[in-house]
Amino acid sequence: MLQFSRFVLVRAMMALTTLVIVSLVVFTLMELVPGDCAERYMAFKNTQGSGISIDDIEIERQRLGLDRPFLTRWASWIVNAFQGEFGDSCILRVNIAQLLGVKFWLSLGVCLASLALAYAIAIPVGIISAASNNPFLNNGLRLFSYLGLAMPNFLLALMIMLLSTIWFGETLTGLFSKEYRDAPWDWNKFVDLMKHAWLPIFILGWSATAFALQTVRALMSDEIGKLYVTAAAARGVFGAKLLWRYPARHALGPIVNSLGFDLNRIFNELPIVALILTLTEAGALLIEALARSNDQQLAGAIIFLLTASIVTLNFFTDILLAVIDPRVRKSILR
Amino acid sequence: MTEMTTDNPTGNLQDQKAKEAYFTASQGQLIWARFKKQRAALIAAVILVSLMLSGIFAPFLSPYDPTIAGRDKGYTNGAPQLPQFCDSNGCSARPFIHAVNRERSIQTNFRWVTTVDEDTRHYMKFFVEGDRYELFDFIPMDTHLFGLDSGKIHLFGTDEDGQDIFSRTLHAIWTSMKVGSIGVFIAFVLALVIGGVSGYYGGWIDGVIQMVTDAVRTVPAIPLFMAVAAFMPPEMTAEARFFYISLILGFIGWPTLARRVRTHLLTERNQEYVLAAQLCGAKPGHVIRKHLLPSFTSYIIVDLVISFPYMVLSETALSFIGLGLKDPVSSLGVMLQKATSADVLLNYQWYFIPVVFFIALVMAFVFVGDGLRDAADPYSEAKK
Repeated sequence: MLQFSRFVLVRAMMALTTLVIVSLVVFTLMELVPGDCAERYMAFKNTQGSGISIDDIEIERQRLGLDRPFLTRWASWIVNAFQGEFGDSCILRVNIAQLLGVKFWLSLGVCLASLALAYAIAIPVGIISAASNNPFLNNGLRLFSYLGLAMPNFLLALMIMLLSTIWFGETLTGLFSKEYRDAPWDWNKFVDLMKHAWLPIFILGWSATAFALQTVRALMSDEIGKLYVTAAAARGVFGAKLLWRYPARHALGPIVNSLGFDLNRIFNELPIVALILTLTEAGALLIEALARSNDQQLAGAIIFLLTASIVTLNFFTDILLAVIDPRVRKSILR
Repeated sequence: MTEMTTDNPTGNLQDQKAKEAYFTASQGQLIWARFKKQRAALIAAVILVSLMLSGIFAPFLSPYDPTIAGRDKGYTNGAPQLPQFCDSNGCSARPFIHAVNRERSIQTNFRWVTTVDEDTRHYMKFFVEGDRYELFDFIPMDTHLFGLDSGKIHLFGTDEDGQDIFSRTLHAIWTSMKVGSIGVFIAFVLALVIGGVSGYYGGWIDGVIQMVTDAVRTVPAIPLFMAVAAFMPPEMTAEARFFYISLILGFIGWPTLARRVRTHLLTERNQEYVLAAQLCGAKPGHVIRKHLLPSFTSYIIVDLVISFPYMVLSETALSFIGLGLKDPVSSLGVMLQKATSADVLLNYQWYFIPVVFFIALVMAFVFVGDGLRDAADPYSEAKK
């Protein structure tokens, strides 16, 4: 038990280190944007009719603490970031934590749901296709996997919109119906969300499913020919029971590890799919922050949050793997 | 071997020749021999090469200039026109299209309405003179593969400015190839340097580099590089934008490649031949270049082919959301920008024709890459 908690502690330290490195990268990039928050704000004031001078910008800089050295500002940014506090958005002048709040959790929920969908399809289908010799099934799956790779999610989203406008005459966009958009959370709002969310979940899960299918299939085909499987079959275990209790348990361990990368891939598609389906969550907010207004504070916060959720997922999958896989467990407990 | 020598001398000779050819074949010949056996990869290679050729010769193959200069003012948002041989007035050996009239008046509710004039034919001609262009960017020419004797033909229709979608598609393929190649090249150089240093020296250098690489890999690339792309000042010229985007794509691709290079170097550097070279006094750079790199050139080539479609897709995605290439440049992302509006979705579905070509391009790359990977793996035959 002691060794196990040490393992958890080491993993947590590693996750923290990763986050600190990432925060440095993100913060540096934010700094590289020409112009800073003070200039942006003053430029905005200028458009509102109040005359401003260089001194005003200097005063605003001091107020925001932008005159401090780079490393000090980074340190305070990262300390605040770990407390969920990202300061004010440069353009919107709203607290970022408030602005993102629900939107971020919604996006994360949609992404995790599509991840779950991907594996809910990929694991059974992958196992079956590895076990069967049906060339029709295998070639079909192969084609599907390649299509998943070749047809990026945003193209798929466009295609679905194209077909739905042709056949149903309406575009499937948004996450909520009009009457629920600003309503407080209750059961009806949740049902409404589910009515709309299936499309982004499906689209985001599409290429993740294709990738996961390939991985599951490859891992299963490696295991299925091994002697212990034959031995189990010789003892009279057969069918689904054989597959599930012998090779699958062995093969599915590494898959737990790849969850983090799949989430990464889904995040990559999120902003673009969000744009097409005109969703109003973090991905769309990111595009807004970047393309329309160069809002580095907001963009940095979103990228940091996305990365943080991947790192967190990686941390939990590491622990999970240690719990469920005896080989990993043995190597920790030694 | 021995019992065959007496009863079948000619067969044995052939056999021996084949064996000799096999054992003296260069790495490239072996890979090609294995690659040829895979039908799907071979078909994909043919498709890939023809797409590449149509990209390279895009200015010649496309009837009109892909930019606003080649637009057809009288046929904006026009439907695709397919050349035909026969109509109600009889057949002709030379393909033709019907003339179209556009009208907007109170009768048509002030919308442009296109009517096809069945009685007027525009015949297709080959090797016609048209818009000037520079083939391979330096041979000035004005001959196009096909065109009409009068009027203009739009195989895939036109967009809202009247630009020919067929011409734009061909040019877009070329743009994607260029962006992809530059991106892959940059990623490759970065990966080679970073992965090379990490794998060759090992130890704490390796540890630090791997930690940073892993940290960078956890950041979702597209959002991060959207942030980088947003730094581009809007007044940037199209060419500068183009190189900036390629650079960004190169930075997207390096971590995965670098890791591969590093892993391979780590296993190879403990081999005897490296030790021998080091004992002879070879410098690290020399050992990496002359001994280690050649040992996995084929793997690197395969990795490059496989990472190519991701570059193309990332470019498309970036351009699509308006952070990548901009309008005078033809690229799939740029062309699809306007395609999300309900008007286009409902009325002008031919905006989506280029998508088919891009899926074909990416699929071809993926299949060829897969085939090459199997072919480059000397153990793939033993496994089967």
